[in-house]
Amino acid sequence: MHAVPLIPRAFIERRAGQIVDPVERLRYLRRTAVFLHPPVPWRKRRLPALGLALLLACLLIPGRKVSGKASRVKSGFSLRSLTRASATTADIFPDVWLVDKSSDFETYSNGLRIDDRFTAPNQKRVFYPVYQRGAAVADIDAEQPEWRSEPAGIVYHTTESDQARFTVDENARLKRIGKAVIGVVQQNHSYHFLIDRFGQVFRIVPEQDVANHAGYSIWSDDSVIFVNLNSSFLGVAFETQTHQGELPSANSAQIHAARVLTEMLRNKYRIPQSNCVTHAQVSVNPDNMLVGYHTDWAGNFPFFEIGLNDNYGAPPPSIYAFGFDYDPVFIHATGVRLWQGLALAEDQVQTQAAARGVSVSQYRATLQKKYKEILAALKAAAIANDNQT
Amino acid sequence: MKHSEKVNNSAVGLDVGTSRICLAQRVGEEYQYETQLNAFVTIPFSKITEGVLKKEKVPHTVTGPEIVVHGNESDRFADLLNVETRRTMDKGVLNPAEADSLGMLRKIVESLLDPVKDHQKLCFTVPAAPLGAEDNLTYHEATLRQILSDMGYEVKSINEGLAVVYSELESSNYTGIGISCGGGLCNVCVSYLSVPVLSFSIPKAGDYIDSSAATITGERANRVRIVKEDSFHFNGFFADKLQQVLGVYYDEMIQSLVQGMKQAFTNARNLPKSNRPLPIVLSGGTAMPEGFRDRFEKAVREAELPFAAADIRVAADPLHASAKGALVAALADL
Repeated sequence: MHAVPLIPRAFIERRAGQIVDPVERLRYLRRTAVFLHPPVPWRKRRLPALGLALLLACLLIPGRKVSGKASRVKSGFSLRSLTRASATTADIFPDVWLVDKSSDFETYSNGLRIDDRFTAPNQKRVFYPVYQRGAAVADIDAEQPEWRSEPAGIVYHTTESDQARFTVDENARLKRIGKAVIGVVQQNHSYHFLIDRFGQVFRIVPEQDVANHAGYSIWSDDSVIFVNLNSSFLGVAFETQTHQGELPSANSAQIHAARVLTEMLRNKYRIPQSNCVTHAQVSVNPDNMLVGYHTDWAGNFPFFEIGLNDNYGAPPPSIYAFGFDYDPVFIHATGVRLWQGLALAEDQVQTQAAARGVSVSQYRATLQKKYKEILAALKAAAIANDNQT
Repeated sequence: MKHSEKVNNSAVGLDVGTSRICLAQRVGEEYQYETQLNAFVTIPFSKITEGVLKKEKVPHTVTGPEIVVHGNESDRFADLLNVETRRTMDKGVLNPAEADSLGMLRKIVESLLDPVKDHQKLCFTVPAAPLGAEDNLTYHEATLRQILSDMGYEVKSINEGLAVVYSELESSNYTGIGISCGGGLCNVCVSYLSVPVLSFSIPKAGDYIDSSAATITGERANRVRIVKEDSFHFNGFFADKLQQVLGVYYDEMIQSLVQGMKQAFTNARNLPKSNRPLPIVLSGGTAMPEGFRDRFEKAVREAELPFAAADIRVAADPLHASAKGALVAALADL
């Protein structure tokens, strides 16, 4: 059984206050209610004897700080010190190997079978930039990133294509739609892999090529920040559709396929669990500086079933590293598991701003400026690259 | 996929009170209400009477030697015939002393609501358990649920005090105390970020005032109610004895309510911590007389409640607040 995440009351109240429609606000509050910190007695808040004793003990122990938050503010603060809510277990890479390979199929030791008949090569991945997160964001040199070439993570998507009922009498239609989806994603080089309704895995764009799957996007692992993940992350799409007001879902065949595919990719590229995320977690819109331009798997992604830690609780680096914000519409579109990450990211922005003695809005502006510098540098590099080729 | 906003479904809220039943619907951004008295009166059958009722479109039912007039018109006929109206409900629940309560309640509900085929969402109010007494609400709630389900609705219920919170306390993120002072009961609900954490009812409300005043003055309770609703106000200078008696019983009711709150808060455990004073909203027909809010606030300040009360106010639309809250709950699909 997984622990229910707890969300600070102040976060919930602040977000609720931004929802104008009373019905939507009520709906939001009722959905978040179960994630509130457990209530404590209302009446006179006396310091219990045990608590008092512990407090005194803390005060008497040399060098011991009572408040973790205060200690962060007083000490120097760097992005490296940010905690991750997920990644609760050590990364163990599954042992998966290629068993057979023909011109059309690959078979792996964990049962994964990849259909290569619809592969559409795209631009080669040569190098992609990453930005060290050890230093403060303000110190990042947009012109001097590090360069890497191997896939560093996986972004999971939904195709949002038409859906037939998953029943035997709809078999022909299911196959027809599935084939049409392959055609579209092949033409657009949309993802590296597509998992259809029957759990079949199709390689669309070869892993050594770039797929157009993530657009403007940001993620970070323990050492570096990734900006625009088309090059750095592999895209895996589920053939599924999100109905209005609901969260997406995958069937058992798709979940099994995603599990064995993820095992293979993680083993092959040594991808940490913390870099296996959904498009909703990484997508940003630089025009309005809001996260969640795309909301694929904004909730309900089967992290555990796929063999991953629940990354929804991880604070989005777009918020704490580059000052992005989010609106009530994003809250509405996302599942509650993701809100814990949002709350943590906001908390971190506030802590960082306090450590620097500036207001949150001032600090956000600094972060946003840095993001725009990075984006401009990336665009300039892309233009220079196009001119060379 | 790019995200988009969700559209609200159509839904209805129904406040099933001891003295009135109120329907709330949202048309565009507007809330619309329709109310019927939750009462009926029987008059002897004659073809002429039946003809007149039909011509005047007065809701009625012929039952053998009698004609039953129900809803709003029952008041007028009771006054005309100098009899008491009969009630389908008493103290917030189905009236055990009234043999035909169920049938009449169904008729009154049907005069407000049309049957539907598409499982439209409906949320109706139910009272909280009386303070210090046993919960006796199961039959009442199940019966109403059955009536409304039979009409094709997808039915849910909401505590009446919580409905007041949902109607009036949006600005405090649905944190505060909602009080519905109705005919049979005063319903109180403490809500914390929309979640009800304490609710109870007090059996002294409008009907208690009416019947007590009627005993003293020799008037019919129904007549007392009409006078009370038409002209009573707290100003310290009463025009007649009835007004003076009404003032006495109103004060007693307010004291019972405030002392009940004190008792409930004192005995409650695990109420959420709050650094902010709690707003209190009063609603219902019994809270409407001018000066009621001031009287209530004075009693609250004198009672030294175990929590800090912030703004105490009467609902913007006291007669419809519970129905609106039920509608908000239905729209939110809670």
